[in-house]
Amino acid sequence: MTTSETVRTATVDQGLSEKGLKAGSVGLIGAVVIGISCIAPAYTLTAALGPTVSEVGVHLPAIFLVGFIPMLLVALGYRELNNAMPDAGTSFTWATRAFGPWMGWMGGWGLIAATIIVLSNLAAVAVDFFYLMLAQVFQKPELADLTTVLPLNIATTLVFIAAACWISYRGMETTKTFQYVLVAFQLLVLGWFAIAAFAHVANGTAFDATTIQADWFNPFAVESFSQFAAGVSLSIFIFWGWDVTLTMNEETRNPKKTPGRAATVTVVVIVLIYMTVSLATLAFAGVGTTGLGAGNPENQGSIFAVLAGPVMGPFAILMSLAILSSSAASLQSTFVSPARTLLSMGHYQALPKGFSKISPTHKSPSYATIAAAIAAAAFYVITRVLSENALWDTITALGMMICFYYGITALACVWYFRAQAFHGVRDFLFKFLAPLVGGVILLVMFFKTAYDSMDPGYGSGSNIAGLGLVFILGAGVILLGAVLMLVMYWRHPQFFKGQVLSRASQPYNP
Amino acid sequence: MRYVVGYTANARGGDAVNLAVALARRQGASLDLVMVMPQDSPYNGVYPPVAGFESILAEQVTQWLDEGLALIPEDVPARAHIRRGESEAEALIAAAGELGAALLVIGASSTGLFKRFSIGSVASALLHASTLPVVLAPSGYSRTEPITRLTCAVGSRAGAEDVLRTGIAMARRRSLPLRVVSLVAQGADDADATVAQATAHLREIAEASQDVDVSALDKLDIDVVVGHGRSIEDAVDHLDWADGEILLIGSSRLAHNNSIFLGATANRILRALPVPMIVVPRNYVLQSEELFHTTQVPVVAAAGPTEVTK
Repeated sequence: MTTSETVRTATVDQGLSEKGLKAGSVGLIGAVVIGISCIAPAYTLTAALGPTVSEVGVHLPAIFLVGFIPMLLVALGYRELNNAMPDAGTSFTWATRAFGPWMGWMGGWGLIAATIIVLSNLAAVAVDFFYLMLAQVFQKPELADLTTVLPLNIATTLVFIAAACWISYRGMETTKTFQYVLVAFQLLVLGWFAIAAFAHVANGTAFDATTIQADWFNPFAVESFSQFAAGVSLSIFIFWGWDVTLTMNEETRNPKKTPGRAATVTVVVIVLIYMTVSLATLAFAGVGTTGLGAGNPENQGSIFAVLAGPVMGPFAILMSLAILSSSAASLQSTFVSPARTLLSMGHYQALPKGFSKISPTHKSPSYATIAAAIAAAAFYVITRVLSENALWDTITALGMMICFYYGITALACVWYFRAQAFHGVRDFLFKFLAPLVGGVILLVMFFKTAYDSMDPGYGSGSNIAGLGLVFILGAGVILLGAVLMLVMYWRHPQFFKGQVLSRASQPYNP
Repeated sequence: MRYVVGYTANARGGDAVNLAVALARRQGASLDLVMVMPQDSPYNGVYPPVAGFESILAEQVTQWLDEGLALIPEDVPARAHIRRGESEAEALIAAAGELGAALLVIGASSTGLFKRFSIGSVASALLHASTLPVVLAPSGYSRTEPITRLTCAVGSRAGAEDVLRTGIAMARRRSLPLRVVSLVAQGADDADATVAQATAHLREIAEASQDVDVSALDKLDIDVVVGHGRSIEDAVDHLDWADGEILLIGSSRLAHNNSIFLGATANRILRALPVPMIVVPRNYVLQSEELFHTTQVPVVAAAGPTEVTK
């Protein structure tokens, strides 16, 4: 008697979304918390505030606001792609469908590169605040300087990356309660920082009290287009994560309304906190290039590491804790993304078969997770050794990389929906105009920043043979991708001949 | 009667399938291979969002299950299921409950280098939460011929009647030979416990417990054995273990009602044991008596108690 059969009760009958999330489990507040946790405002501010000030000075608030526009335009296109191809939500598959295998490969590579760079930066920021917190706990300021000891810094960062990789590989996840606490704590501490900074300004105890002016909000007052482009590509990074709210659907309680409302609430909360904190920072420290000034290159890698102490006094330890916890949590969850994209590229034969291996025990990408960790570690070590200010340069390179893959994906949206573009106002706006404008802006920012970064004085001023390090990092990563792509084409051409994932477009189907 | 097998596509899953086949062949059960797909928490905040992994994983799991089914010989009926759950152990317990399974079979982790049993995280979670008996396959279990004998390890502490009751019920179905052992570590007060004492103890347990049919003790082919050794591990090692033997032990007194918690002694036995084992939850009530109901008249053999010396 043989009754061997597989009962496939995988997705449909157990109330799950295509992403394997429990359907209808997230309410509005939950979605906002997820959105804020993906942005990780405490981490993004400490990492991006300094480099942005160095580009645009007091016009920081203006650039932060302007940076949201291309992000919004592209995210609207993303949402359309996500609804049309819910089971293929990566830049790799989307761009492959729209433009074919070559552009698809580069789109996927751009996303992987951006996440690898952010992983190495997250780990580095976590390590800085780890040592700073040790110094604050034991009240021994010299402990904070341990992070400047190169071998120790590299070793600690590698340990952080390895730990996050292991957690992600084991499939362990952040729970709802933990995420709520993390987000609330971050917002609370950032608010505290801003209030304390304004209090210092009012009491006349600020480092370089600067009066807030309306001109700070005027993006056209930025001196040159180069600075504007660099500032925008940095501020794309500070909103990176916001669009996660728009791509939610079945996992929310009300898929029609929750994602849109959550996106709105999230952006309001984030803009408020960004404006308050950046105004507080500028008002307290000014943009001077000495001492605590936000323009001091010494401070720009991680602004709160320098300012939290003078602003918050003994409570600065809370800032260390907030940034350490949020960057550690992001480190762990961000690992999932490049690992799954690498796995998906392996699955569709765009990368060697090994990348598609899934761990039988933990049912997570095995090879791909470890590959992502090795890449992040290697990227960090190389940057750390070559650069005078690794944090600063990685963030600038990251801004470039986000512009690159976002730009490609936005244009993929335009091309995929080309048949529908002129069939109604809604389709025209969301499937054509918004992603087209957003994509073009981002690619312009990408090329402009890439061109400018060839200047040896760009970013932290690190260079190799007269070429700016940021350019070498950014262009080097893209070039490496192109080389790997050609190697793959030479060894396993099936994917590039369109035999695995074929091109498609959404037909007009009213 | 159905047995649920918690399958994983590695050597550990193979151990579990082999043992489940051996049990099913002896007891005439059918197998349900279950694989659990992890359920992501949306609060994990994965960014940039990646969809598509799910379908690749589902494809892979289906393929793994087909391979798992191929391990099961033709004469054992089997089906495969994919379940979802945040915790693999919870999903397996839920599946076993839904399918009305009598046993939950799982491979112990294969990561232990020197010990035959080293409990993996899933097995450990199962042992702490399961409401039905959990069968642990030791690393490298390759036998698929029917189980030949069931050994109940009975201590003097509360919980012994759960083991005895389950053991007798299992033995009555198709008259599986039953052996009852009492394990003694030397140096303890009762170092020179005898078979006679153990038999009397067994009868005491049976009489004290309301559900154990004392007369069954006489009807069944039961060997009563006392294992001696310097330690519990030693005692286990010195017992004579048949090739197709399986051990039935109870859960610790620390366990909540209807769940399993391995006590110190059980853990020690686990480390020394060369054969698979079944762990019975505390106050386990056979879910339906007919699952175990005898289909053949038990054969009463003349074999009397034997004493095992080290």
